Amino acid sequence: KILHFGACRVSMSMTEIRAGFTAIKANIQSRDPIRTLSILSHPQSLHKVKSSDRCCITRHLLTFYVDKVFKHCRTEDSFVNRKISSIANSFLSARRKLGQCREQNNCVCGEESTEKFKQILANYEGLNVTSAAMKSLGELDILLDWMEKSR
Amino acid sequence: SGELYCSLPNPRNVHFESINMKNVLHWSAPEGTGDGVLYRVKYSVYGVGKWIRKPECRNINRTWCDLSNETSDYEEQYYASVKAFLNGTCSDWVETTRFNPLTDTKIDPPMVSVSSTDKSISIILTAPEKWKRSPEEESVSLLQVYPGLQYNVSVLNKKTKKRWFFSINNNTLVVPWLEPGTAYCVSAQIHVTTPVLDSSFSK
Repeated sequence: KILHFGACRVSMSMTEIRAGFTAIKANIQSRDPIRTLSILSHPQSLHKVKSSDRCCITRHLLTFYVDKVFKHCRTEDSFVNRKISSIANSFLSARRKLGQCREQNNCVCGEESTEKFKQILANYEGLNVTSAAMKSLGELDILLDWMEKSR
Repeated sequence: SGELYCSLPNPRNVHFESINMKNVLHWSAPEGTGDGVLYRVKYSVYGVGKWIRKPECRNINRTWCDLSNETSDYEEQYYASVKAFLNGTCSDWVETTRFNPLTDTKIDPPMVSVSSTDKSISIILTAPEKWKRSPEEESVSLLQVYPGLQYNVSVLNKKTKKRWFFSINNNTLVVPWLEPGTAYCVSAQIHVTTPVLDSSFSK
């Protein structure tokens, strides 16, 4: 599937990523007992991000998940671990493509998106690493819903 | 009210059942309890700090509660919880898993209208509407919610039992070169590519 982020276009195997996440969603979300905090959607919803900021936020979030989430989500369940690494590989590939587009100066960060991403990092750093990573992984459908919302 | 000592068994299988984003909480009565059990329901928006009681589902004896109104923003995710009361004692609060209206709803089949000439059939498909609070509220088609929505159409020649399948993005289809004087059965299904959601085929 081709996703459009401003001037950048990224093909991502959304159906596979979604299927992988759906298979482990209940397992991952049950490891996150904190209902009162969200990494991605509160206090300010991803859906409020302006379309001009979509590319920058997406690039930041792909890097965030690759560098700060997937690697801290090892579980005792090999099935879950396999699904996580498959999703991680898809994110790595998408980040590389988006990075190429950025080099052509097509993925500029505005003030609002920088602020939004700071908020996400603050939410993440408000928890210990494992809890924050597991909560972020449990919110993958929030990210995918937003990424696909206006393709 | 002060919390009672809760020794009643818990309600079971607390979960959302959602069709076209009409989101209804369902559960089963606690094991071994006969009639007379009453229930209270609360819900929360994931990432927001508080549980909110549902007044219309306070001290009810049925085992469902319509939370469509409270969960209508499909950019949010939700939890709901149920507590049982009987003869002065109670159960614990029992929660659902995290409910995402966008990915966890089921979709009804499309409406199919058919007209024909002697050698062709024209099919017009209409996607169902998202649940709405009242008839006066503006309708939102699920087509607007799921931009990747497609239709799978099946056309069956009732005489030869030969069947054709079509997958279309827009909502009209003309099937030409048919046999005059022959009965055909048309059925259609909605297919959303991601998140993967499939309706059943229309009757």
